Amino acid sequence: MSVLQIRTEQIIKDYPGTRALDDVSVCFDSGQVHALVGKNGSGKSTLVKIFAGAIKPSSGEFYLNDEKLHFNSTSDAYHKGIVSVYQEMSLVPGLSVAENIFLGRLPKKNQAIDWRKTYQMAGVLLQQMKVNIDPHEQVSRLSMWQMQVVEITKALSFNPKVIVLDEPTSALAQNEVQNLFTAIRALKDQGVIVIYITHKLQELPQIADTVSVLRDGKLVGTVQMNKVQQIDIVGMMFGEVKIQNRPTDIKVRDEIIMEVKNFSRHGWYRDVNFKLKRGEVLGIAGMLGSGRTELLRGIFGADPVDRGEVTIEGKTYKSANPIKMVKAGIGLTPENRKIQGLILIHSIKDNLCYASMNITADGWLENKRKRNALAERQVRELDIKVNDINAPCESLSGGNQQKVVVGNWLNTSPKIMLYDEPSRGIDVNAKQQIFEIMWDEARKGISTIFVSTELEELLEVCHRILIMRHGQIVDEVIPDEINVNELYEICMRGD
Amino acid sequence: MENVAVPGLTFDRKKISIFLLDHIIELCLIILIIGLAFGANGFMTWANWMNILRANSLKGVIAFGMTMVIIAGLIDLSIGSIVGLAGVIVAVVCRELTGIGIDINVAAIIGIAICLVQAIATGWLHGFFQHKTGMPPFIVTLVTLNVFLGLAGRLSGGFPIANQFPEWFNQLGGGRIGGPNGIPIPAIVLLAAFFIVWFVMGYTTTGRATYAVGGNPESARLSGINVGKTKVIAFITVQLLAVLSGFMTAGQVMAGTFSFGKGWELDVIAAVVVGGTSFTGGAGKVSGTLVGVIFMGVIGNGMTLLNIDIHTQYIVKAVIVFLAVLLTSYRAQLKA
Repeated sequence: MSVLQIRTEQIIKDYPGTRALDDVSVCFDSGQVHALVGKNGSGKSTLVKIFAGAIKPSSGEFYLNDEKLHFNSTSDAYHKGIVSVYQEMSLVPGLSVAENIFLGRLPKKNQAIDWRKTYQMAGVLLQQMKVNIDPHEQVSRLSMWQMQVVEITKALSFNPKVIVLDEPTSALAQNEVQNLFTAIRALKDQGVIVIYITHKLQELPQIADTVSVLRDGKLVGTVQMNKVQQIDIVGMMFGEVKIQNRPTDIKVRDEIIMEVKNFSRHGWYRDVNFKLKRGEVLGIAGMLGSGRTELLRGIFGADPVDRGEVTIEGKTYKSANPIKMVKAGIGLTPENRKIQGLILIHSIKDNLCYASMNITADGWLENKRKRNALAERQVRELDIKVNDINAPCESLSGGNQQKVVVGNWLNTSPKIMLYDEPSRGIDVNAKQQIFEIMWDEARKGISTIFVSTELEELLEVCHRILIMRHGQIVDEVIPDEINVNELYEICMRGD
Repeated sequence: MENVAVPGLTFDRKKISIFLLDHIIELCLIILIIGLAFGANGFMTWANWMNILRANSLKGVIAFGMTMVIIAGLIDLSIGSIVGLAGVIVAVVCRELTGIGIDINVAAIIGIAICLVQAIATGWLHGFFQHKTGMPPFIVTLVTLNVFLGLAGRLSGGFPIANQFPEWFNQLGGGRIGGPNGIPIPAIVLLAAFFIVWFVMGYTTTGRATYAVGGNPESARLSGINVGKTKVIAFITVQLLAVLSGFMTAGQVMAGTFSFGKGWELDVIAAVVVGGTSFTGGAGKVSGTLVGVIFMGVIGNGMTLLNIDIHTQYIVKAVIVFLAVLLTSYRAQLKA
């Protein structure tokens, strides 16, 4: 089997205001699994999107076996044998495994679908993947890892030369990961170039042959997996981190405002206990799937909880719901602002006043004047950039949308704010403004719980950080006593 | 043509097209009325206008409740059956109770009360099942459509139950204020229903919650809005208005008939949609529905005056609904 190679030469990708890829030259050989790691925004996805034909580089070339590649669309990349498997599943749940694999190109005999051949061909492919999945099975009945394997099998059915796997294990349980790895090794044995994007460094020794690290759009280096330790990779990912100074004038008071006791939800988190002080900014660190988002939602009453209770200012809540918790003085800015936080077709003004609806009204009668006043106050205080407060919320940028979500809650005069990934998908400036808001509110005595994947942010913003792993709080650290590499290491440990 | 500069006004092509699109139905209605005034004999007369109101108020009343339901992101298909059932219930109650010597007025009031309770219970049931189980509202209310049609048929034995109502009940549907050519009572009920729903949707927390729930139920829930209660209120409102329409329909012909109102749900939805309410929920205006009701009434009346046969009328009305939805979708795209 001859060796294939995909290679980039000095690739640069510019977006307005940022350079997503900066002079990246990297080379991946067939028969190996090449891990691509880096923090969010480091340029990993930009690089693989170029391979997939989804975007074009601003300058630089890339080659497959010395053939220069020029993609105008994703189908160009397909024809050259480069396929991508993304985190979001593209399978149709109601159809069989075999149908999904050959969707849109089912084999035919005399104009009719040749079902026997479909199932037989799918069976052969699944066998190559060394997994035991019935091609007749309906996809909705498969477990997560099986769906992921079917996704990869579908990619394999195109006889690809390069397969890009984007965080394939992010939704998988521990034991399922091993099954997926078996399939990925089978893939590599067939002489395919496997590019593997992941956040989970602890997986690397098991599956990767080489590791390439990107940071701020630059390739920090490519190393052989068997010659490096995890801590070295973390160092490459983060580099020298400058942590900005947290204002020192915020006094955390001794008074406990909220206590969470024995909080458990089957499959997500268990026996979570912690206390939150008045005016404190408490961070929760943890990898994707550690249960941090679910914990916040549980406290807010957005999802049911199996066991445990929340006590706020002496009042205990056992089965909470958002209506009760809003009255109790909690606000939650959810993980996905577009789907969970905003009503995009409605105006900025309306979106700023939904949570405070009962406060702004006189009984059941709307008080439009009060509502306008509250909305305008938030626009002013949070510095939301709007031309017209009556324009639909979807017309705003991500950062301004996030501020609307925050303003919606500040209008309720909350005692406790829960922030779930508030900085996702917004620019640096807006991010900094959101942190300023948290501090301002803390000065007023509002307590904050802040969940983020970005560990540097937590170190920058919080007074105290809880670390979650597999649904449990395993450690508690003080930002001044730890650096980001150590924090990252604790988050990943024991996997 | 030169740009016209008016002090304090700036012309923005996009804004103008949005304004025109927002008011296209009103514009069409005005053009239609002017056209018919010249083209159709007897159209622009007081008697004809009162006739239009009388004929269209019965369905129109329900349209305001349906607007609320559709803005909440729901649908209620059962209202046609409720119209028939309400008339049958009042007629049967009157017949049976007067049979055992109870005063006819008392009997009618008891019948009305039963219908109102039934409307509240049905609305609550729709909201409860839809919200708790996540069943599509289309299916939930399709079930009750058939159940209530069957119930009304059984209760009435399949025949009209005539001449059971007290005179004031008949007046609800057939009466006029100000003599034989006066304003029909159903038209007054229509206006009253319009003002109530218009006020609720525009000036109360319930109205705002309804828009929020239809716009994005998950965001609404996470903002502490009681989504279940909001849905139940919308469902109860449309049911109550359907029952009211049932009283008026039965009163107009002085009989309770189980098949009254059959198929009305589609006409009512058509009026709402022509009025610019979006089927995806979260957007729409009660005033638009009033225009929609009048529009559909005027076009039907005009076609009848012009001797266009009933089959052609169906086709014309269908095309109008199609164009209205097309405009609503186009407007949404333009604004985005």
